[in-house]
Amino acid sequence: MSAPASTAHAPGHELEQSKFWIFVQLAMLLAVITGLELVTVYLPFMKWILISALVVLSTVKFMFVIFYFMHLRWDKAFCTILFFIGLILAGGTMWALLKLFGVADSKPLTMLEPSAIVQAA
Amino acid sequence: MSSTAAAGTIDHHHDSTTVTGIPNKKLLMWAFLASDCMFFGCLISTHLIYRLHPPPGTPNARDVFSIELTSFSTFILLMSSLMMALAVNSIQKGNLKSLRWSLLTTILFGLIFLGCQVYEFRNFVYEKHLTITNSILGTTFFTLTGTHGLHVLIGVIWLTAMLIYSFTGRLTEKDSIDVESMGLYWHFVDIVWIVIFTAVYLLEYI
Repeated sequence: MSAPASTAHAPGHELEQSKFWIFVQLAMLLAVITGLELVTVYLPFMKWILISALVVLSTVKFMFVIFYFMHLRWDKAFCTILFFIGLILAGGTMWALLKLFGVADSKPLTMLEPSAIVQAA
Repeated sequence: MSSTAAAGTIDHHHDSTTVTGIPNKKLLMWAFLASDCMFFGCLISTHLIYRLHPPPGTPNARDVFSIELTSFSTFILLMSSLMMALAVNSIQKGNLKSLRWSLLTTILFGLIFLGCQVYEFRNFVYEKHLTITNSILGTTFFTLTGTHGLHVLIGVIWLTAMLIYSFTGRLTEKDSIDVESMGLYWHFVDIVWIVIFTAVYLLEYI
């Protein structure tokens, strides 16, 4: 009787065992990526290349954590959809705010020369 | 109320008793985290906007920040995430002893992170003379990182409560969703820090 039961347990048990090593290897990978990020900021490349590299590296870290540590990889797709709704809204808000207030016209008046303020008025 | 498979193993990722097939506690936590994304998104973009147009007299962030300390904090928080993932793995296997050690280590790492943040804040205020009121950099920086720190503190309190609860004998494999929900919150705190580390700290060094 015990043989079929142990056979039935095997796939789930193996997954739980393999998860342990997945988590340990992932943590090491995340530490290495953090080290890479640190090195990146001191590289003598153009600013946009460095910023793009940092964005990619942090996105990779972000995705690894949500899909593996937070189990999205093994959970129902609805969890991923729900979280990404919030993420897209947050990302869209950030993008819109940075576009709106990033332009030169959004500079605070305290940053401008007095003559420029008079001209603007 | 996790569903049980025919062989008696508990399926920790699906719940046949709910319409969505997802345990209600997990669904609630994901909805909360989605809303918290928007909260932190606003705080981070506010900080970045004021960094794009710093008013006159704003101190140079590069002279204020300590990248070594922040990198250490980041590493500690990543390791705490590993221990939290192992804690969830332990309760799903019904291994209470391993759960307790993993929770204890996560709490310890969380406290180290908070200690680093307190040290950093003290250093900024007393050595670098950057306060929440004397410059826009201080206002946005302390609001953002302080809010994150508050999330970490809440997480540490939650972890401690769960650790104490595990000694009552009422925490079993069937209640793994409670530990998993707490784990989701803790990992979220980690992913927010991943973004803060890049957007607030590393970008200043380019």
